Amino acid sequence: MAAAAPSVFLLMVNGQVESAQFPEYDDLYCKYCFVYGQDWAPTAGLEEGISQITSKSQDARRALVWNFPIDVTFKSTNPYGWPQIVLSVYGPDVFGNDVVRGYGAVHVPLSPGRHKKTIPMFVPESTSKLQKFTSWFMGRRPEYTDPKVVAQGEGREGGNTEAVIPKAAWICLPAWLTLSFCPQ
Amino acid sequence: MAMAEVHVIGQIMGATGFSESSLLCKWGVHTGAAWKLLSGVREGQTQVDTPQIGDMAYWSHPIDLHFATKGLQGWPRLHLQVWSQDSFGRCQLAGYGFCHVPSSPGTHQLDCPTWRPLGSWREQLARAFVGGGPQLLHGDAIYSGADRYRLHTTSGGTVHLELSLLLRHFDRYGVEC
Repeated sequence: MAAAAPSVFLLMVNGQVESAQFPEYDDLYCKYCFVYGQDWAPTAGLEEGISQITSKSQDARRALVWNFPIDVTFKSTNPYGWPQIVLSVYGPDVFGNDVVRGYGAVHVPLSPGRHKKTIPMFVPESTSKLQKFTSWFMGRRPEYTDPKVVAQGEGREGGNTEAVIPKAAWICLPAWLTLSFCPQ
Repeated sequence: MAMAEVHVIGQIMGATGFSESSLLCKWGVHTGAAWKLLSGVREGQTQVDTPQIGDMAYWSHPIDLHFATKGLQGWPRLHLQVWSQDSFGRCQLAGYGFCHVPSSPGTHQLDCPTWRPLGSWREQLARAFVGGGPQLLHGDAIYSGADRYRLHTTSGGTVHLELSLLLRHFDRYGVEC
């Protein structure tokens, strides 16, 4: 029995990172990147991007607007590993260094058409009390060297309390990020 | 003949309506004998989250499953266990729930109600003061209807999921989606 050749399909994603609400922080910029399975590859457009730095509006909304374009096309032979967009938001700490203010991830929508998604943002929190105090004092938190871990399902359970290196848990911020997509 | 395939892609978004805070969710997918999991993990556990605004705990836990099947019987069911964790790291059951994976293609918002076993008045008192409380010995009662009449339960909160379905080759088996 001849095996059918795997058929290739394309997923075109147009959209933008619209805005965010972060009550505690200002002067933020965001980075996006995509996490996808082995059967997926980007064929056109930018897979990663860094936005401009924006400040809160002075009106009652207190929104941080980026209006940052996302334009990428993927090709694949298998829906498993459907791309997720991972967003990381950064801002200055009290010393002026850029530190992470939140991470979030969501699957690119599976149906064509316009979609608007508002996603909660998470920060890694150390389980060590000393590191929690240090991070409160310095205004900076533990950061992931690779933000793509936020898109993975495995390994999210709380760390082993006997570990020598403090393991980070996730806490959810009262912060939101809004994206709109038009996948085709 | 190629087997029919089902892709379940989405997130366990979070939960509302639980009186406990610091919640985590253990999830698993149960299918019938004709189903085979081609890619993805069949079960997992979210991180612990405490509601900051309002009463929704957010997990945003991704789910990506690829099944192949020869029959409709045993359509996948997602079973959930919501636990709350205190500052000492002890876990207490907050609710059990299950929902069928939707059978029509597209994106679906699912709200899964949960329940937990009540126990005797002594166990209820102990749970209020010390914690703990009765749990099911076997997880099958979460998604199976048999032998449920023996249980006396109380309600927990609701787990919110967003799942998208992609179906393939079902028309070859004469199934309309």
